[in-house]
Amino acid sequence: MSRQPRAFFALDFGAATTSAALVGHAGGRWRLLAHTAAPSTTDLDALLFGILDRVGKADRELLEFVSARERPGTAALVADLARLESRSSPPRRIAVLAGSKRQRRRLEEIASRAGWLVVGGSADVDDPLELSRLVLAWDTHAVLLGADSSPAGDEKRHLPMLGALVAAAARRRPELAVVLAGGAAIQESDFSGAGEHDRIPEVVKAAAPDSSAELDATPVDVATSAETTEEAPAVETAPGEPAAEQAAVGATPEGPSEATAPAATTAPAATTAAPRAPDLAAPAHAAPVELPVPSGDRHDSVLLAPDAESGQPAGSALQQVLEGLRARSDESRLGIARSVRSLALLLDKSIEVIEVGLDGGLRCRAEAVGPGHRTVVSSHVAMASASFAPEDLSDEMIDAVSSWSTIAFDRYRLSDRLRDLRSSPWGEADGEGALLRLAAAKAAVERLVAATPEISVREMPDIMIAAGGVWASTPPSVVALAMADLVRRPGVGRLACDQARLLGPLGAIADEEERRKMLKDLVEDVLLPLGSLILPAGIRQGRSAGRMRVTGETSNSDIDLQPGGIWAVELPPGQTATADMDFRDAVRLGARGRHFSVEVSGGLGGLFVDLRDIPLRLPDKADQKRATWESWQRAMWSEIDE
Amino acid sequence: MSPKTRARGRAEAPDVPPELTRIPGRRILVVSPVVQIRLGPGDRVLVSPGQKVTAGMPIAERTCDPEFIDVGRLNGATNGNGKGNGEGGWKGSQQERRRPPLPGKWWVGGDDRRGRNARREGPRRLAGTLLYEINGRWSAAAGDRHEKVESPTSGVIVEAANCIGIAMKVTGIAIPAAVAGGQPTRGYLDVPRLVDGELRDTALDMGRSGAIVVAGGRVSAEALTRARAMSIRGMVAGSLGQAELRDLAASEGRQRAALHSMPPFGVLGLDGHQRRPIASPILALLAALAGREVAIITEPPLLVLDVVDVPLPELPRDWVRVRSGTHAGREGRWLSSAGLHRFRAGIHLEAANVRLGDDLGPTIIAVADLERFIL
Repeated sequence: MSRQPRAFFALDFGAATTSAALVGHAGGRWRLLAHTAAPSTTDLDALLFGILDRVGKADRELLEFVSARERPGTAALVADLARLESRSSPPRRIAVLAGSKRQRRRLEEIASRAGWLVVGGSADVDDPLELSRLVLAWDTHAVLLGADSSPAGDEKRHLPMLGALVAAAARRRPELAVVLAGGAAIQESDFSGAGEHDRIPEVVKAAAPDSSAELDATPVDVATSAETTEEAPAVETAPGEPAAEQAAVGATPEGPSEATAPAATTAPAATTAAPRAPDLAAPAHAAPVELPVPSGDRHDSVLLAPDAESGQPAGSALQQVLEGLRARSDESRLGIARSVRSLALLLDKSIEVIEVGLDGGLRCRAEAVGPGHRTVVSSHVAMASASFAPEDLSDEMIDAVSSWSTIAFDRYRLSDRLRDLRSSPWGEADGEGALLRLAAAKAAVERLVAATPEISVREMPDIMIAAGGVWASTPPSVVALAMADLVRRPGVGRLACDQARLLGPLGAIADEEERRKMLKDLVEDVLLPLGSLILPAGIRQGRSAGRMRVTGETSNSDIDLQPGGIWAVELPPGQTATADMDFRDAVRLGARGRHFSVEVSGGLGGLFVDLRDIPLRLPDKADQKRATWESWQRAMWSEIDE
Repeated sequence: MSPKTRARGRAEAPDVPPELTRIPGRRILVVSPVVQIRLGPGDRVLVSPGQKVTAGMPIAERTCDPEFIDVGRLNGATNGNGKGNGEGGWKGSQQERRRPPLPGKWWVGGDDRRGRNARREGPRRLAGTLLYEINGRWSAAAGDRHEKVESPTSGVIVEAANCIGIAMKVTGIAIPAAVAGGQPTRGYLDVPRLVDGELRDTALDMGRSGAIVVAGGRVSAEALTRARAMSIRGMVAGSLGQAELRDLAASEGRQRAALHSMPPFGVLGLDGHQRRPIASPILALLAALAGREVAIITEPPLLVLDVVDVPLPELPRDWVRVRSGTHAGREGRWLSSAGLHRFRAGIHLEAANVRLGDDLGPTIIAVADLERFIL
């Protein structure tokens, strides 16, 4: 019997929530044995102790098997088991400066999509004093000075002043990271002509994305996208086949190879008999581009970046540079994006993830370039402003939450509650607090959707995943309703939830092949099925739109399709059914037609049939709008009055 | 049940039962925190890193009405009329004056900048900080009205930079708060009698001038206005609403525009924005410190006590407080873990049995809604 454990902890350290999962190799594959989530203030060892205790109480033999010990001590296992970790990057602020208001808006949008908190100013509107205040503020971590690649007169005349201003600020604040984008790179000399009392920042050219890789990938092959091509299909390895396992992970029979040796301090070493835990070294695709960000607080370099129009779609090249500057290598959101890419290749399906947390949100999509292709195109946008309780809470954000809320709040009271939600994100998670949290989450997703038109124009994905701490305590049917409310595209898709928050830590696995193998085993555990969503477009209001028959393994349903409503048909997880729909008029459901027959799979919420308008049409009056939301919500959340 | 108070020299680490560690801890005191005083273009520091400062000592000079000034060409060795003064000392050394003009360096307008016109009798003293240089010509943020910024507490300067700010390691200890408004300030701590946990506005009179008043669970905009008018230096409350903070910010804006500046005024919300009474251990601590010199710091929100030894409240290990939810503000004793419990709206959360106040029976409360105090 091997003495090496066949288990590891997958840990996701969010800003509000710490999620811990125990993954073990049992029954011939990696399995999610237990998981839990708690406020980030909770002692981690206590959390892990609790998980092991639960597994031990439920199945002592299983714990002994995966821990490879006869009487495993919980405390010893907490210390010994390997840990696969991902973390949220704390939000950082960037000051965006430009010569014109037009350019500033464009740059602000890109910086926001790269996950920065953004403040900005333009020389044609703001005076140099105000611009200096922005860049000298203590909580400004970076400055982006940008212009068109061939700046017009309105920008060009301000560039010398802006260059001098930013160079002066960089001399005053050595920790400030400076990015010169597009035509602003001409001001590079401002940063090298310093006197003997000044530091001389090193100018570094940020690696532009490889445009050659974009040519054969349409249409969402962007700089923020990454391609995963399965040139060599993964070796199908049954656990217990050491040779194949070694070939896949590069381990030697004696233990991990030299290259992976550093990880052995945290990861269990591979043996000939035991399956190998994932390599827990630095992730391979840690950031879209590797930028020479100096260690510590000092950023003694000026990055020269592409302009706001470079890349496909426009701005994606600069976004990639800014994201690389902001995010840490093991960031959860980038990990989710990598895992989704691997999943899309593994399942050969289009997958979209919407993640909302305390310090930001993520929307990403991955899909094959075309039917039968082994190339996956993915794009992602991580935004700090997509937090459910943003740090920079504006009046517009408060109004957005109010418009999604089923409770009437005055603006100041709602502002107070949202700010307290930020300082205590797990506080009052029940009752009225749950409704507020849901409204705040929907407002955050709305911001994400508005910022990602390139994803919104795509067809409904095969699988849509809700992720992030904000959904942790929300009933599954309500999560599904929120997805249907916000991502309104005609089609049929599966809804799932990353309940155990494994996508982030699994994205930290360095090797793409190894990550895919792990996901292959864990895919059913990672994706908690919420159900399927049928969302037709073009339904006429007023009369019955037709009928739908759901033929399942254990039950059949016949539904009159009334426009303007949403229904949940019971369809348990693991079951599939055929939904035959006969509409009176032609509708769009992927294709245009009147008769459709689709395969749907079940989930905790069942099958959702959404016959509301695309986009949603709501009453103008606030109280009527609240009543409309409440009627839809109550249909999915019967416990709301408890 | 309210906690007793006794004098103690040092905080002791309590022996916490394992189940209690699931409840988020709230530290009552922090020792020697690093605080920040933010400055902007036109402002200069009067201290240097490593320097010890005492409460009331001028540490910075703020330009009240900074404008963007085209300074023109400056000589290499001096700035303007040779009266330059850079960061690194209040008086400025000869060596500092010999330094070439640099961004952030203190600049005093030369004769050509001392504008005279028919309406003004005296010369204007334009002073501020240099911003940047283009083609040999310098720009500055400068104005003719300046005010000294006094250190709200004693400590050691960690960082000091013109136009940016000052970071200072406080000598004493501090009570952390959740939200702050106004400016850093100092005064004697006044803990008046609270009626139903609140302070009546009429209690804010001239007799409390120079005090930092403990105002109970909530402070209203009217109370803030009245307190400023009565030369009260600051207020400490359990919560501080966003509406009140906006009113205070607007009032400060008007104050800055006025010619005669008033003493700085600050306000602290210990728990957050929604109404909650002050936690009894903290109220007991404040009551024990009444009359002592304290300071309100806004970044981060702190009530700084210029002392090292304070009377710490004696708390049972299982003393908890409800910080959010329907029972927010109530306190009691943790009895046991209640496991996963179904709460309102069908939400399942980890819970605990707590005996609140003088209740006869236990109440089941979500663990995330509770807090325990760490001394």
